[in-house]
Amino acid sequence: MLLIVTYSRGARQTLRNVCSTHTSPVVRRFGRAALFNETELAAFLALRLREKHGDDVQIERTRPFNEFTAVPDDVRSAATAYENRDSPSTSYAKFAAGTEHPSPNALQDREL
Amino acid sequence: MNVDLGETIRTGRAIDLRDRGLDAPTVERAVRESDWITCQTPGEVHERVSPIRDGLSLAVRSAVAEAARTRGLSAPQDETIAAVRRELRTLDPPAADCEAARRRVAETGERESELSERVSELRGTIDALEGDDVDEAVEQREAAARRLSEVRTERIAAEQALAHARGQAREARDARDRRLRLEDREKNLRRAARDRLAAEVRDAFADAVETVPGEGTVESTTGDFDGDTVTAALAVVRIADVDAPVVLACDRFDSPSDAAAVLDAPVLRV
Repeated sequence: MLLIVTYSRGARQTLRNVCSTHTSPVVRRFGRAALFNETELAAFLALRLREKHGDDVQIERTRPFNEFTAVPDDVRSAATAYENRDSPSTSYAKFAAGTEHPSPNALQDREL
Repeated sequence: MNVDLGETIRTGRAIDLRDRGLDAPTVERAVRESDWITCQTPGEVHERVSPIRDGLSLAVRSAVAEAARTRGLSAPQDETIAAVRRELRTLDPPAADCEAARRRVAETGERESELSERVSELRGTIDALEGDDVDEAVEQREAAARRLSEVRTERIAAEQALAHARGQAREARDARDRRLRLEDREKNLRRAARDRLAAEVRDAFADAVETVPGEGTVESTTGDFDGDTVTAALAVVRIADVDAPVVLACDRFDSPSDAAAVLDAPVLRV
């Protein structure tokens, strides 16, 4: 999908107008950002926004997230285990220490 | 005030210009530019209400708030608003443009895949050839492979440059984020200040709406005005301390001097 983020009041207003006029490409609207589907119409609208507002418009392309293909087992099971921990006040670093769950540093250094 | 009409000069607090065939915008311009009308410099209230004529578009609450300021009132938000504005003036977000870098990645990537295809093609050709033709094809393939390696290096450099540009753009966007937050903050503060000031003179404004000619009511708790905008504009002028002449282009008063008395302001009737 296309993620469009605006960084000025003018650009934000134009994005709002675009979203109200063209509802078909809009997947989701957030205050000053929106997700468009991946159509040429969406790209056309996004590029028009950037043509009009320059650097106050950021356009990114997102990918669907599938944790079963993109995320290693140990990360998924660590997330599940930590959210189901007995003591809510335990930090993740403490929780993972001495277990087979990855340490916060390891998570930080590993790219998906 | 003085109105210099060439052959004659009119003076006073209420001047009738209906005999001159002048339209309201022309007279208003002369007031603002101090052209052939000599008078006090118009302020914010004037900017909002004058010329007063039918169909006037008026943000009533803002005008009432400006009227309150002419009476020496201020809002508790004023200092913060000034600070936010000062910070906004110092903000100058750098460019966040990666277009050239993106274009270069796209172009080098395209050339790379073209050359890569060419090398594979030549490889296939060589297998089908014999004798001198083979040597020539091998030479071509080697030349293409060399170019491919160069272009690949260029593509990798372009990707690195793009990653760098994106990093810089992120910083530039942090500054833009900050600017947008400040602008929103300023707007919210201005609205709060406006509401506060309008509330302070709500009763005076309601009385003025009752006093000036025309239809209109002011809701006692919210201060919302319901009625026609000319009435609201007249009431705003009445409660405001207005020095510059208000241009009147509506039939609400018996005479310009009557208008000046009710509005407690200098008046130019057109």
